[in-house]
Amino acid sequence: MHNFKLIAVLGFLFLTNTIFGQSKFTLSGYIKDKSTGETLIGANITNLENQEQGATTNSYGFYSMTLPSGKYKIGFSYLGYELQVFEIVLDKNISYNIQLSEGVVMDEVIISAERDERRKNVEGTQMGTIELPVENIKKLPAIFGEVDIIKALQLLPGVMSSGEGNAGFYVRGGGPDQNLVLLDEAVVYNASHLLGFFSVFNADALKNTTLIKGSMPANFGGRLSSVLDIQMKEGNNKEFSAEGGIGVISSRLTLQGPVVIGKSSFIVSGRRTYILDLIQPALKGGNFEGTNYYFYDLNTKWNYTFSDKNRLYFSGYFGNDVFRFRQPNRDFRFDLPYGNKTATLRWNHLFSEKTFMNVSAIYNDYRFQFNGGQDDFVFKLFSGVKDWNLKVDFESYQSTKHTLKYGVNYTYHTLTPNTASASNGEVEFQTTFKPKYANETAFYFLDDMKINDKWAINTGLRLSIFQQVGPYKSKITGEDFGTWETAKTYTGWEPRVAINYKASDNFSIKSGVTVTSQYLHLVSNSSSTLPADIWVASSEIVKPQRGVQYALGFFKNLDNDNYEASFEVYYKDLRNQIDYADNYVNDISKEVEESFVFGEGRAYGAEFFLKKSKGKLNGWIGYTLSRSERSFKDIEGGRWYPAVYDRPHDLSIVVNYKPLKKWDFGAVFIYGTGKLFTPVRGFFFVEQNINLFYGPRNSSRLVDYHRLDISATYTPKPDSKKKYSGSWTFSVYNTYNRKNPFFVNFDTNTDFQTGVSTITGTQITIFPMIPSVTYNFKWNQK
Amino acid sequence: MKNFHLALWAILSIAFWSSCEQSYTPDTFETQQEIVVEGYIEAGPGANPTYVILTKSIPFLSTIDPNKFSELFVKDAKVTVNDGLNTVELIEFCLDEVPDDLKDEVYAVLGLNPDSAAVNICVYADILGQIKKESGRKYDLNVTVDGKVLTASTTIPKYVELYDFKWAEPPGKPSDTLAELNVKINDPLGVKNYYRYFTATTSDPQLIPPFGSVTDDAIFNGQTFEFPLQRAQRRGGGFNPDAFGLYKRGDSVFVKWCGIDKAHFDFWNTRDFAANSGGPFASYTRISTNINGGLGIWGGYAVNTYRLYCPPK
Repeated sequence: MHNFKLIAVLGFLFLTNTIFGQSKFTLSGYIKDKSTGETLIGANITNLENQEQGATTNSYGFYSMTLPSGKYKIGFSYLGYELQVFEIVLDKNISYNIQLSEGVVMDEVIISAERDERRKNVEGTQMGTIELPVENIKKLPAIFGEVDIIKALQLLPGVMSSGEGNAGFYVRGGGPDQNLVLLDEAVVYNASHLLGFFSVFNADALKNTTLIKGSMPANFGGRLSSVLDIQMKEGNNKEFSAEGGIGVISSRLTLQGPVVIGKSSFIVSGRRTYILDLIQPALKGGNFEGTNYYFYDLNTKWNYTFSDKNRLYFSGYFGNDVFRFRQPNRDFRFDLPYGNKTATLRWNHLFSEKTFMNVSAIYNDYRFQFNGGQDDFVFKLFSGVKDWNLKVDFESYQSTKHTLKYGVNYTYHTLTPNTASASNGEVEFQTTFKPKYANETAFYFLDDMKINDKWAINTGLRLSIFQQVGPYKSKITGEDFGTWETAKTYTGWEPRVAINYKASDNFSIKSGVTVTSQYLHLVSNSSSTLPADIWVASSEIVKPQRGVQYALGFFKNLDNDNYEASFEVYYKDLRNQIDYADNYVNDISKEVEESFVFGEGRAYGAEFFLKKSKGKLNGWIGYTLSRSERSFKDIEGGRWYPAVYDRPHDLSIVVNYKPLKKWDFGAVFIYGTGKLFTPVRGFFFVEQNINLFYGPRNSSRLVDYHRLDISATYTPKPDSKKKYSGSWTFSVYNTYNRKNPFFVNFDTNTDFQTGVSTITGTQITIFPMIPSVTYNFKWNQK
Repeated sequence: MKNFHLALWAILSIAFWSSCEQSYTPDTFETQQEIVVEGYIEAGPGANPTYVILTKSIPFLSTIDPNKFSELFVKDAKVTVNDGLNTVELIEFCLDEVPDDLKDEVYAVLGLNPDSAAVNICVYADILGQIKKESGRKYDLNVTVDGKVLTASTTIPKYVELYDFKWAEPPGKPSDTLAELNVKINDPLGVKNYYRYFTATTSDPQLIPPFGSVTDDAIFNGQTFEFPLQRAQRRGGGFNPDAFGLYKRGDSVFVKWCGIDKAHFDFWNTRDFAANSGGPFASYTRISTNINGGLGIWGGYAVNTYRLYCPPK
């Protein structure tokens, strides 16, 4: 019944939009890049005579600003682009599409636009939200020269890497499964390649990256810790262009261009690694002939603008890791393919100048497979997640001070646990695990309002409903549930509040409370996440994870907005956290949830951030002081212990320096407290064999982690007007060759001749100093 | 799972041949030693006498040789077993006190390899056979040493027979010298059963458990189930994948099949898993114990020993 009421309220709000604002008029439209026609996300529209009146473009580049009738001087700006100013007589609703050029000529104008951008630090109710334009990420040094947005995010306060060189990340003391990773609105369940060393996001195909780690607005949900919202480029709708790069381990190529000039465009972007392809001749005739590993990503997008009111987008991502192991002399072989596929079809529709609607139909599929064997023996393992998702989102721009968003999101999940099958000639064996099915539905409503010059408030409510549905046979009662029949229902009321008090023009205090629910879980028994880890849905056995985050932040701009500074504190209360008991035994005859234990968690911390975005020398310093702890009744009797995500100190310093037009320099320094692990206390003998026993969970740390990376980009002809341009990027990862531990392994050795037994610990470092060079090229593209 | 982790590690090693290792020594580590109980009580044909071995654990970063090993035995403890009717005190003796002509038998009972036993092992045993040993009974162990008390309880479950032993061609490549042993079990419905087994052959005459030595009835509960019973191999005894789990034709074969309870199963299940996993992606596995105040196992076995002959082809 609640659901119907909510729909009725949403419907009412939708109707009221068209009734309001009779004496006011609306200026609306799209803001695009002049040279490519690519829409610009987060561009600013400001009444230059009253800077309190403004709007921002949404993730489709659409803006809407409602003002009393009159004459206005409106500025359109975007970071790195020239400001454009128009005198507009607003005596009726006006649709106005703007094209901005990347600014190179009028420095003052650019400064003004950038200044608008930097104002966001103290304006708005959002806290703990970071937008990272992909172009900025490309300037940072990267391991093997592979530009990686997730590794760039790990340099921000509150975001930590899940391990050396790893693209997994922990946000504010939460687990890696608590991050909602969206690529053009499709959930990406495994966002990394090569066991986490590279993220699946090819920077050339991406337009914008937003990480929300603090107050998650009500239009997002389903995860406790953060949202990483990534938009792909739409493609140049004016002319064909290409760009790419040739690197040490992989190469990339992106093609884009118009299908119908000004109306429709496409982009195709691919990346593939080849380092092991190169050594294939050396393997020929040897023991490992045919062994290979590579990964690839393919991003595609197509869009069509029917009119200012209707646009259609279709985007797809296909990525795979392919590992093939061959040992021909023993007829031993296995293949380990895994990867994501996503497809998103979106329709943007303007009901009016003030009401924007987006309908998305999304499909995504993550699968992990292991196929191996020897002689006649064949073993196969399969697990995965498949979603069908339909979303309808409305954005209603009531006035420059008031925006409403509401919508509904439905997902049908299919989760396949580890399905194993084996055969030896005619003898076959198969686990009887059936896929699990679930409906996840969410309704949300949010209201972003500037009350006056000092106060702004963003309130929202999300109602999430999760149903485990059949076919399913209850493990508790033995009851059989048919297809679509509900076996278990969970409901989550998730209120969200964020408040901004603007104490002065350049100082504000923001605070927020966020309640979240999470119905899909990834529980790992290893020190980092693996592609083999299984996503598990909430069910009659597994309860949803619930979280509440309280956050308070102080935001100040200094030196005429040249410096942005912030200090944020947070406390998180986490319920129904999931782990394996410490006597867990991996048994393929059991479903993983049978081995789960349930407990609670808490995380708290303080984050300091100082950023300089202007000038030849720019960059940021981020420092986090935090703790993250867990308590499980079935682990050491409920003792509170530090979670594997607990790293009290985390410091990142990022510097970009451009002394000359031809040269761009970058440096990154990282320092973090060492990773936790459970130490071996000693060993004992039973049946004359050595056995290890351990101290309390996570009671030891590896040594502290630190490293310095540097890069230099050389552009031989920065002012060239030719269609083709190229640049060289040289980078050195771990410049001073710090031996950062990746893990510590304990081993026992017994010499059966002498009867001498020893136990040894070995610390393994995987990345020493690694130099790399990448050549990047562009054709017909800035 | 070990193979899977190794495979992952292989990917990494191939991709990043630059990795480097150095020995790891923690800044601080505990030197306090725990008391380790290894005690068994068996009922059924071929059951061994009840005994308990008490040792001390060895702190991290120690090396242990046979001399030091002899010093690990905990002596002068008071060890009693209550079978529900009587409390029996076990009698302590060390192998150097045993007459030479009885030594081999004692070795066999304790599951020791006589060749490598340069160690003077000490045990607490029910030498007079006073404990009533039968299926369905619960046994409480009480150990008092240096003022410290350790307790544990175990049960001997109902025995479930193996039958229909058959010798078959090994899977994959045909062989003239090796055979697979197939057996049947009729697992009782409605109760959770746990099993452990040992094998011995003419070539390797000591009864030893296989690497994965226990199983529950999760996949064959209540069924008549036929399965290959793999020959156990000694740890560290070299690994030949072609002969793994197979029996040599012409050998006599002993199979000791045991029913155990849940806590006893958990001990071996976690022990076997911990021994077989490791590497960069593995987490630690804490070996379950049913000893209050110490480490190890006090385990009941319902046993039967089958004597077989693997005929030449």
